[in-house]
Amino acid sequence: MIQKKVCMVGVYATGKTSLVRQFVHAKFSDKYLSTVGVKIDRKPVQVGGQDVNLLLWDLEGRDGVQDIQTSYLRGAAGVIYVADGTRRETVTQVFELRELVQGAVGAVPEVLALNKVDLADQWIVTSADRANLAQVPWHTFDTSAKTGDGVEAAFQWLATAMVKSP
Amino acid sequence: MARHSHGEVPMIDVQVRGRSDRGRVREANEDHYFIGVLRKLVEVQDTNLEVRDAVRELSKLDAYLLVVADGVGGVAGGRRASQSAIFSLATFIGRTAACHYDPNVQQENEFLERLEHALQHAHAVVRSLSTPGRGPATTLTMAMIIDRRAYIAHVGDSRAYVLSRGRLRQITQDQTMAALLEDEGVDVRNAPRLANTLASAVGAQEMTPAIGLLDLTPGDVLLLCTDGQTKHVSDTEIAEMLASDPDPEPVCNRLVDAALAGGGTDNVTVVVARADG
Repeated sequence: MIQKKVCMVGVYATGKTSLVRQFVHAKFSDKYLSTVGVKIDRKPVQVGGQDVNLLLWDLEGRDGVQDIQTSYLRGAAGVIYVADGTRRETVTQVFELRELVQGAVGAVPEVLALNKVDLADQWIVTSADRANLAQVPWHTFDTSAKTGDGVEAAFQWLATAMVKSP
Repeated sequence: MARHSHGEVPMIDVQVRGRSDRGRVREANEDHYFIGVLRKLVEVQDTNLEVRDAVRELSKLDAYLLVVADGVGGVAGGRRASQSAIFSLATFIGRTAACHYDPNVQQENEFLERLEHALQHAHAVVRSLSTPGRGPATTLTMAMIIDRRAYIAHVGDSRAYVLSRGRLRQITQDQTMAALLEDEGVDVRNAPRLANTLASAVGAQEMTPAIGLLDLTPGDVLLLCTDGQTKHVSDTEIAEMLASDPDPEPVCNRLVDAALAGGGTDNVTVVVARADG
């Protein structure tokens, strides 16, 4: 079976672990536990009738972008950037994050998960932000680890892109 | 002394010690620990190669395997469970891990899968000791340190911590009924026994291993311990003790002595590993 390493990247408390949990176990918890190092999960998916094993590396979120340890990114076949729509700074930080990640892994398929869409009424994402995000060649999904909205679609899109990627 | 792995990436040296104690109340010690070094040996018997030193370098690469386990299910059963789990895990890893001293990405993925297989193997061995669902069983928390990367695998409510730059952080999450229900939003404050009931254990009906990893930097201290330690010693005290001495042996003694002084109501086991530059 093909194995693909996917890194979940974002600053602290954006919901990286919760997204993985929702995708792998279809569960959500309000309790916040910060990740130390990397948590690893796996989930088999199908892409065009082919079995693909996603190895999900959920990287510890730090306060600042530069604090993210790039040694964990080595060999990633795809990346999911996670930003919290209720914290605008996490949305603007993804550009800097992307630079850091690309420096470590090169050009790989990318997804931006704008998370916590269940709290859309509290989102502080401006239309200018949306326009800036649209300039980047990643695929953007509005996601909710709580309700599951957009979660399956985000991972499935990335799996398909990774398989198609040379 | 600092060593270098392939590509001149500085390797860290690791000093490790462990200690286990029956405690002040229990009749026997059902905990076990294990500290092993996996060493690749290439013995050059004869060669006219000019790169003899490079071949020698292969023999210097070490991996450290650290495990703690806390058996449950009656004195004899619990003891046997923790012992069998560690023995079968160490044997499995000893037989299969040799190609992972200098892992590339593909090998690392395979290694992570093999870690899970090692735990499944230990689980099957412990289950064979008794009627399924009736015990015995055991917690198991292990770290395998290769280069500067610590691979952590965990089942049950023993714990792994890291002290880095003066800050203590718990790497593992307890797999107890209380933690499971809290996760589901259930208030468990009136059910203290649930904190001692394992939701996942090696040899039990449910075994859901958690796998992770962590890159260590020189000066970091890794602690694996059974719940006999954390019942009686706070995280703040643990942090102070881990930072109190560069030699892990007196640190182990301080930790266990503090657990005994705090009541020693359970078996207590610690493994302390310090990463040096």
